[in-house]
Amino acid sequence: MKALSKSFQRASYMSKRLVALSIALAAISAQAADVTVTVAAFPAVDEIVKAAALKWEQKNPGVKVKVISRAYADHHTAMTTSLATSSDLPDVMAIEYGYLGRFAQSGGLVNLSTLDARLDQQLKSLVPYAVAQGTFEGFGQVAIPTDIGPGALFYRKDLLDACGASEKDLISSWDGYLKTGDCIKAKTGAALMPHARDIKDIVIRAGVKAGEGVYFDANGKSVVGTAPRFQQAFELAKQVRERGLDAKINAWSNEWGEAFKRGTVASQMMGAWLGGHLANWLAPDTAGKWRSANLPNQAYASWGGTFYAVPQKAENKKEAWALIQYLTQDVAQQQAALEKFNAFPALVQAQEGASFNAPIAFLGGQSARAQWRESALKIVPTKVFKHDAVAEEILNAELDQVLLRGKSVAEALKDADRMITRRARR
Amino acid sequence: MNTTQKRNNSEGAALAWTGRVFLALGGIAMLAPFFFMFVFATHTRADIFSVPPPLFFSDHFFENIQILMAKIPFWRNLGLSLYVGIMATGLTLLFCSMAGFAFVAYEFRFKKALFALVMATMLVPAFLGMIPTFMIMDGLGWINQPRALYLPAAAPAMGIFLMRQYISSAIPKDLYEAARMDGCSEWSVYWRVVVPLLGPAFGTLGLITFIASWNNFMGPLVVMRTPEMYTFPLALRSVQSPVDTEWGALMAGSAVAVIPLLIIFVFSSRRLIEGLTAGAVRG
Amino acid sequence: MAPYWLLSPFLLLFLVFGLFPIGFSFFLMFQAWDPVQGLSSMTYVGLENIAFAIEDPLVWLSLKNTLWLAIVSGLPQHLVAIPMAYFINEFLGKWRNAAMGAYFLPYITSTVAIAIMFSSLFSTDYGVVNVVLTHMSEWPLVGWLFPGANVDWLGQAETIKPVVAMVVFWRYVGFNVILYVAAMQGIPRDLYEAGRMDGASNLRLFWHITLPQLKPMMYFGTVLSVVGGLQLFEEPFILTGGRGGLEYSGMTTAMYMYRTAFEFNDFGLASAISWFLFIIIALLTWLTNRAFKDRTGAA
Repeated sequence: MKALSKSFQRASYMSKRLVALSIALAAISAQAADVTVTVAAFPAVDEIVKAAALKWEQKNPGVKVKVISRAYADHHTAMTTSLATSSDLPDVMAIEYGYLGRFAQSGGLVNLSTLDARLDQQLKSLVPYAVAQGTFEGFGQVAIPTDIGPGALFYRKDLLDACGASEKDLISSWDGYLKTGDCIKAKTGAALMPHARDIKDIVIRAGVKAGEGVYFDANGKSVVGTAPRFQQAFELAKQVRERGLDAKINAWSNEWGEAFKRGTVASQMMGAWLGGHLANWLAPDTAGKWRSANLPNQAYASWGGTFYAVPQKAENKKEAWALIQYLTQDVAQQQAALEKFNAFPALVQAQEGASFNAPIAFLGGQSARAQWRESALKIVPTKVFKHDAVAEEILNAELDQVLLRGKSVAEALKDADRMITRRARR
Repeated sequence: MNTTQKRNNSEGAALAWTGRVFLALGGIAMLAPFFFMFVFATHTRADIFSVPPPLFFSDHFFENIQILMAKIPFWRNLGLSLYVGIMATGLTLLFCSMAGFAFVAYEFRFKKALFALVMATMLVPAFLGMIPTFMIMDGLGWINQPRALYLPAAAPAMGIFLMRQYISSAIPKDLYEAARMDGCSEWSVYWRVVVPLLGPAFGTLGLITFIASWNNFMGPLVVMRTPEMYTFPLALRSVQSPVDTEWGALMAGSAVAVIPLLIIFVFSSRRLIEGLTAGAVRG
Repeated sequence: MAPYWLLSPFLLLFLVFGLFPIGFSFFLMFQAWDPVQGLSSMTYVGLENIAFAIEDPLVWLSLKNTLWLAIVSGLPQHLVAIPMAYFINEFLGKWRNAAMGAYFLPYITSTVAIAIMFSSLFSTDYGVVNVVLTHMSEWPLVGWLFPGANVDWLGQAETIKPVVAMVVFWRYVGFNVILYVAAMQGIPRDLYEAGRMDGASNLRLFWHITLPQLKPMMYFGTVLSVVGGLQLFEEPFILTGGRGGLEYSGMTTAMYMYRTAFEFNDFGLASAISWFLFIIIALLTWLTNRAFKDRTGAA
């Protein structure tokens, strides 16, 4: 008995040591096995994430962030490839609004409420329309907005002054906008807008009811031929072209940048982030001459916006979600992104504070950000459809026919409707 | 000298001078865009988009390179492009010459059909193959590895076409028939008799393959998944933002990307000429 | 006597990386597939994609564009390259290599650089091309040939195609010059000597000696130009910003295929279009073969 108990004692002593040893080993290996969260993004989101990663890694020892950046189009092509084969997906995927519809309805992204029971609480802290843009019927909340592009009208005050017109004249109605444009053209020779297409883009987004898409109704049927806003948009664009109010310049071309430098274009409707670009590199020498106003005719629209999503096949979903939370919920982080990269925060709380409300020198001391914040609250989220890209393409082609070849508006819309319906059937 | 010859001489001289003028003008047209690329590489982004665009060199080249180096692992990407290019070229030369020799010197079943099939694939545009290629690479576990780039590149239809043409026209049949009769093994026949005569063909195919590999960005886009593994053109593209590209840096990078190709061209141009000559004229 | 081991490395790589993707895309032609939904979402639709492609006006428009571009950029490449090669070969002596290097340079450039260079050069208000042209319109005598105002090269349907054709020509003419110089170097000099003895002028020498000897190289070069021209993608893509330009005048079939696949996410249709294009390329290659066959015998 004694021998047995002695060997038992020895055994238990051994096993205790083994247990202690294995616990120690496990602890060491847990520390040594860093988790790496991969983030796939494009410029400048990649820079934003890289800047945030340092702080986040400090707060979360044992987790590292790796950013994989590609050119904008290349990134979305690579994500398409990965989703197609369900392979080599990142933990965090940055998605630009234009691609959101396609990716979100693929079934390849995680419904974020499964990762966090308190998701609804957090969503309340973000701008509502952007949150709605990341929600999809049957798929849930698959994407979270990190920056938004509330639409604004940037205009040259000095050119407006040459006309003796006020901002109210400019934006009270589309009619007023065009009339003021006539005056500016007469007095200064500058065009009102770069391209007639710009006005079409805004008008077709005005008056869309929640739950409907821009080009399709809630059931996916094309409304291009029937909804009055399309006819109105085309008519207005035609007017703009006929009255010589557009400069026929495409956005992001050399001529476009140069037009801003030289003041040959008096206004540009675009996301609020344009202000930063104008100040930094597009037309820094025109500082003080620009102002920002709401879009004419009480229109409210958004341009772009970046979202984060987590693929179903991601390896480190929990850490991915933790990083996304930091990027979207941390006030300091969102404001830093605004200051350095012009990313307008989707986090409501980040849209406050002294620095946020400070006057912007480039815009002649206007506290434009407050204006943008207000307009963001009035944007109506539209439903995104898989065929939106094709529809936009077809509509633009028809508009070109109207503007260049004198095709009648009615016929153009009829043709567009027919072609969009045909493509949408697939 | 009779009158005809005298007439020919002066006519010849006039022709010579006209020719030189046209060539010079043509040369300027060829080189002008390059000149601008190198000029733009030395300017800041704001300068490039001003009016009129800059016509002469400025001094921002190193600044631009530094901007570029901060955004991408510059040397690594450059090195990787070089490595992939060399491997692709080496393997292509080996495999295509082996296969080309087989097509010329031997008879085997389905020879004609096989060759026609290979030629036919030249006619099919490549990028629909992007996703199946990704699937294969994924299945093989080659994602993010250089071999995913140089191995598929080692069997181009164009390569075997060129090799077959060259071998059938420039290497006399009796040469390797004789070697066979002397009892040489097949490998010896290939390696000792045929390969030494392939200099010009190697020069041509090598140059074309290296250039194609160096400039290719679609292949790396599909299989290279982390910035450290990008090839140089892909890395250059990754700094292009829809709104905020550093054009000066991009141009500087493009200028750097052209130089290795120029060097290789200078070295292989003589072989290239010989290769094309023999292959085509007697073919 | 098995040459199979000589063939096998090539064959293996070819089967896996060449044939499989092609087979897959052939298979895709009969499926409806939105790639982001994953492989399992493919559904069989029979000939529906093909029918849709045949009825699609953009397919026909892009084919028309492609053929136009292939001919307008391809033909000059050879028509210009041959005389140029002749000059380089006959009259340049030690400058020969330098000239060939200069002409080959465009072929080596990457598309990123080309995109920026040419967008900048052809810019309406700020491009060098317009600056030069408007200056030249003020010269006496020849001024009337040149436009007095800035031409919107990349913004008008009529001018996009010529600009793209010009860039393609610029890019590949040097390659053809080299091909032809090489071929001309292989022409025995005694032929020329004999011709000169007989009192032939340079023009006659060129026409009766040089050209016939060039036929094999012309065949090689033409096949490359036909296949390459019909598959034109990169140059139109970058010059029109990926969209095809106003009224799609710069959109080639290959570009339309790419957009259908990666922007409109319809892989089945994209496959159908690509096989449609393949048939056309095969047809034209066969015709080229026949045109040259009797003269070379080595087709």
